[in-house]
Amino acid sequence: MKEKGNTAAVTARTPVIGLPRALLYEREAVMWKAFFSSLGMRGIISAPTNREMLRLGAEAAIDEVCLSTKIYLGHVRSLFGKCDLILVPRVSNYGLHRNMCTKFESLYDLVCNVFRNTGQRFLAYNVDVLGGISEEKAFVDLGMALGFGRKDAVRAFRRAGRAAAEDWHKKISREERLYRTDQIKVLVAGHSYLTEDAYIGRPLFQYLEEMGVVPIRADRVDRKEALRQSVRVSPTIKWEMSRELLGSIQMHKSKVDGLILMSAFPCGPDSMVNEMIIRKFPDIPILNIVMDNQDGTAGLETRLESFTDILKLKRGEL
Amino acid sequence: MARERKISFPMVANYNSVVKYFVEHGLNAAFIMPPKLTRRTVEIGAKNSPDYVCAPFKTLLGNMVDALEAGADTLVMTMGLCRLGYYAELQEQILKDLGYDFEMINLAAYSTGKNRDYFKAVRRLNPRVSLGRLALTFAECLKMVEHIDEIEEEYYRNCGFERHPGQYKKVYDRFLLNMELARNVRDIEAGYLKAKREFQAILLDKPEQPLRVGVIGEYFTVMDEFSNLYLEQKLADMGVEVHRWMNLTHRNIHYQGQKNLGVQISEYCRYEMGPTSTANIWCAKNYAVHGFDGIIHLKSAGCTPEIDIMPVLQNISRDYKIPVLYLTYDSQTSDTGLMTRVEAFYDMISMRKQVVQI
Repeated sequence: MKEKGNTAAVTARTPVIGLPRALLYEREAVMWKAFFSSLGMRGIISAPTNREMLRLGAEAAIDEVCLSTKIYLGHVRSLFGKCDLILVPRVSNYGLHRNMCTKFESLYDLVCNVFRNTGQRFLAYNVDVLGGISEEKAFVDLGMALGFGRKDAVRAFRRAGRAAAEDWHKKISREERLYRTDQIKVLVAGHSYLTEDAYIGRPLFQYLEEMGVVPIRADRVDRKEALRQSVRVSPTIKWEMSRELLGSIQMHKSKVDGLILMSAFPCGPDSMVNEMIIRKFPDIPILNIVMDNQDGTAGLETRLESFTDILKLKRGEL
Repeated sequence: MARERKISFPMVANYNSVVKYFVEHGLNAAFIMPPKLTRRTVEIGAKNSPDYVCAPFKTLLGNMVDALEAGADTLVMTMGLCRLGYYAELQEQILKDLGYDFEMINLAAYSTGKNRDYFKAVRRLNPRVSLGRLALTFAECLKMVEHIDEIEEEYYRNCGFERHPGQYKKVYDRFLLNMELARNVRDIEAGYLKAKREFQAILLDKPEQPLRVGVIGEYFTVMDEFSNLYLEQKLADMGVEVHRWMNLTHRNIHYQGQKNLGVQISEYCRYEMGPTSTANIWCAKNYAVHGFDGIIHLKSAGCTPEIDIMPVLQNISRDYKIPVLYLTYDSQTSDTGLMTRVEAFYDMISMRKQVVQI
């Protein structure tokens, strides 16, 4: 099941890398693509989430895992037979009080155990800053495990890092412009793997836009500043992505009309952080939406509609 | 000192006598023993907690309310590697919103990567604490934890086989009381030796190959008998030798470390999957290798690290042909459903054992 040091990945033909379009994909896609392409490797990305994928994922998963994991397993499953190696990162933390949910810590071994007898091979990189493995070291190790020299891997990582930073800068400035519109603005705070998901998060954005509301992604924010702001609201919060969202809410609360908290059932960090947000920001209208793998969107539409009505009423537009 | 603090720490398994000893002798402050967990504790906790947070959060929140009502003015809450690390801050917020007036010493706020920073938390509890005394008391507390764990292990392994029912329980309860009342290290040692001697004297009717079940699972739920609805006692009463590796002695005081345990389960996982995941996977494999009749894996609903190791446990179950019962606890208070499942599991493993033996 386990491949010692990933040396098995080195074959005569360049292996094709499969990237599941779920969980960390939204956050790291530019990085991954730039890294692999500057090493001259080919990759394939799974299709946007659809119902069939979710069904496959839910079938493979333990009932109780969160919706995002089910989606992830569905994406992994859909890549079978289309690539040689599927990239499944393992990220434990980016430093002190910058942990990831334990899901990201266990993801690689989880996937390997779920798909143990399928013959599919997986590729991992391991980020654990507290344990002495920085992001750079993780990627360089990954490159070397794929059979490249250290210099090439370092160069690929640096190039990928620059590409990712540039892309992020563009995304933030696009999002910043939205804060200046006169329409009703709603800050949507959800992990990027939910808000950007074609089956789960996108419909929510569409409804909001149809109702004349401008949805703004809270996670697209200057991350350093957001991390700094988050500890002012909650000193011991420890999850990197929750800190970004919390900091972003703190930075933008006066610029928006309402806040939508969007999470997957039963997300561990969100179960607590959302409660904290609701208690810490009593002045701003908040809608707490928990997504599960059910079909039918009537319930969601009703809730969004009545929330929008409240926002309009507050502005005197209704 | 302006006033003496009344410190409390929410009830966790049988370890509160250790906390009491530490606070009274090491910190020289008053300790308010939180009332035993009851149905009311869970109800209050669940009522004031977010919906899908894990069950220990709710139980501990309820217990904090109990402790405050019992007169505590300072609560201490631990840090942790999973959601547990954020418990204290949210619980403080909820309790303050409810209107309680108290001081929370949140150890997560002192987690800076350096262990000596925890001493700052101690200084806050009592600014004039003596370092020598503190260290000595701490060492005595570790000893006490080891004793409690050892006696508990022996209790659950044998209490199902006593010739005259009730003898083990009597000794065990008296031992726990002695630990709670211990005033110095001599009391601790005496209580421990007494319990050991009395255990030795109890007559057992134990078959040569009794049914053996290993219990693994989430840190809090697996150790706290109230939270797992006395699962181990239920098993023992059916005539099972119950083994549980997970306790403070094994997981914290004498932990072999991620590397040393991880290398023994390298065919199942390459990285550490969560705070207690490596230990639990190792433990399950160990029980399987040693020919146990079954494994019970328990967790509170939504416990991410424990859910994530379930595929691994399923693989171990397949590889070693060992039955695994998965139990999920929420803040429920009735144990009929649990009993049904445990009985069915017991019937299955005992029939299986007969077939295997023939």
